Amino acid sequence: MSDLDERIGGRFVRMSRDEINQWQGEALRRSAMQAAKSPWYSAKFAEHGVDPASIASAKDVTKLPFTTKEDLRLSYPTGMLTVSTDQLVRMHTSSGTTGTPTAIFHNQDDIDCWAELMARCLSIAGATSKDVFQNMSGYGMFTGGLGLHYGAERLGMMVLPAGPGNTARQIKLIRDFHVTCIHATPSYAMHVAERMLQEGDDPRSLGLKRAFLGAEPYTEELRLKLQDVYGFKAYNSYGLSEMNGPGVAFECEHQNGMHVWEDAYLVELVNPETLEPVEEGEVGELVMTTLRRTAMPLIRYRTRDLTRFLDGECPCGRAHRRLARMVGRSDDMLIVRGVNVFPSQIEEVIMRHKWIGGNYLIHLTKAEALDQMTVKVELAKGEFDGSVETLRNLRSELQRQLKEQIGFTAVVEVMEPGSLPASEGKAKRVIDERQ
Amino acid sequence: MYNEVSVFVENKPGKLSKVAEILGNAGIDILALDLADEGQYGVFRILTAEPERAKDVLSDANVAVALNKVAMIEIADQPGGLVKLAKALDASGLNVSDAYGCIIERGKRAVFVVKGDRLDAIEAAARDAGLTALDSLA
Repeated sequence: MSDLDERIGGRFVRMSRDEINQWQGEALRRSAMQAAKSPWYSAKFAEHGVDPASIASAKDVTKLPFTTKEDLRLSYPTGMLTVSTDQLVRMHTSSGTTGTPTAIFHNQDDIDCWAELMARCLSIAGATSKDVFQNMSGYGMFTGGLGLHYGAERLGMMVLPAGPGNTARQIKLIRDFHVTCIHATPSYAMHVAERMLQEGDDPRSLGLKRAFLGAEPYTEELRLKLQDVYGFKAYNSYGLSEMNGPGVAFECEHQNGMHVWEDAYLVELVNPETLEPVEEGEVGELVMTTLRRTAMPLIRYRTRDLTRFLDGECPCGRAHRRLARMVGRSDDMLIVRGVNVFPSQIEEVIMRHKWIGGNYLIHLTKAEALDQMTVKVELAKGEFDGSVETLRNLRSELQRQLKEQIGFTAVVEVMEPGSLPASEGKAKRVIDERQ
Repeated sequence: MYNEVSVFVENKPGKLSKVAEILGNAGIDILALDLADEGQYGVFRILTAEPERAKDVLSDANVAVALNKVAMIEIADQPGGLVKLAKALDASGLNVSDAYGCIIERGKRAVFVVKGDRLDAIEAAARDAGLTALDSLA
């Protein structure tokens, strides 16, 4: 790979609006025809009466069927795969609405493209090969780890694959290796700053220049607060594992809206009830079609994230449109410590235990800037047999099973029968007191 | 064998009075009460003359309640009254997991509640020592 421009797909970055539209038409057709090679989409297209070869422009996307998280679950694991498995070089899983995760497969071209998009994001935020980058995001199946990692390496930064946690070690690494850029969740970045201040240390003394924040929604106020306390510039990042991971949309040096890479993604905003496109400037659910993925293209994937396009041209001059901060979800998914959690996953664990009644409450709070989740359950009146031992085991078993299901530790509180509010109609399962 | 009443409560103020009130209003006499504390919650163990009725009354009040079998041995309420039973239990080699006493008639009768793996064997050991295992406090 020769120079920076090639590595970040400069020719795509510089496309005009017309060139993007032209490219999208051709790429959509290619992508739909590739998708048709999978059992899932060939059946879906037939069911819908659509021939992918008939796609002539980006507008024709409305001829194609939507894809939902449920579809990913139904086609798990390889229903949407378009190539043989020996061509694959990576896969990532992410939480499903129930115990079944979703699986996304990548061949070498997909991995290279993902890294290109990610490097592009870092580059427009002002990072260069002279920067030193500490990735404080979880590695493993979570795409935030390897996603940022490959992009940062491709850009030529020296990468410290620190992963999360162990705050004292994070600080020491930043100092010892003159780290200039970090990737973390906004709440973890705040947590580290608070710890430093508590110990009489100054986060500004770390000399960080840039922070890339993502994996959970956060306010403009928190961004400004973080910039103030650290002295760095903080850039918003948006991504989801279905669309690779991070690298889908990112802020440029103007920090006003995230440019979404329209050479790689065909973006629609729809009304989540009617599935019709929303008016210009209106908030809608983000629906995305991959334009440059081969192993497992996704057609009109309903992200369930709600947002809108920002008006007008960005001063940076790039024609790729900007997305505003995500304003919410059109489903009941929660994000806790950067991890996606569906209440139904918790319900599934609770229902396994006959000693626990069906009523439960998920209580979200913050402690030292970090998200805390408490799951309150009720003892089933009729099952209690007086055994203290069973009660003790029950609580620790529930916590263990929840951790297995959602990936982090939630505190379980076993309460008396009837102590949780009984619901009339749709149960209110979540109380979110985080700010 | 006798029934002890076990009640699940959260570790919060007002639980003892709640349970006492429910039983008091139903005219049920509490003979002894003990708390097993598990931090966030606990289990009351209650000895009453009417364990079955106590369970019904508490259950109707939406309380998680259960009856647990225990051995209840009658002993004399005087200095040395426990010795015969204690020696019988020691000699038997049986595992005793919990035990407590309760006066039924001051200066005359008391009962000693014993819990363990083998309640039938505990009762047999008591009988062999000339003591009575009670099934009722009526």
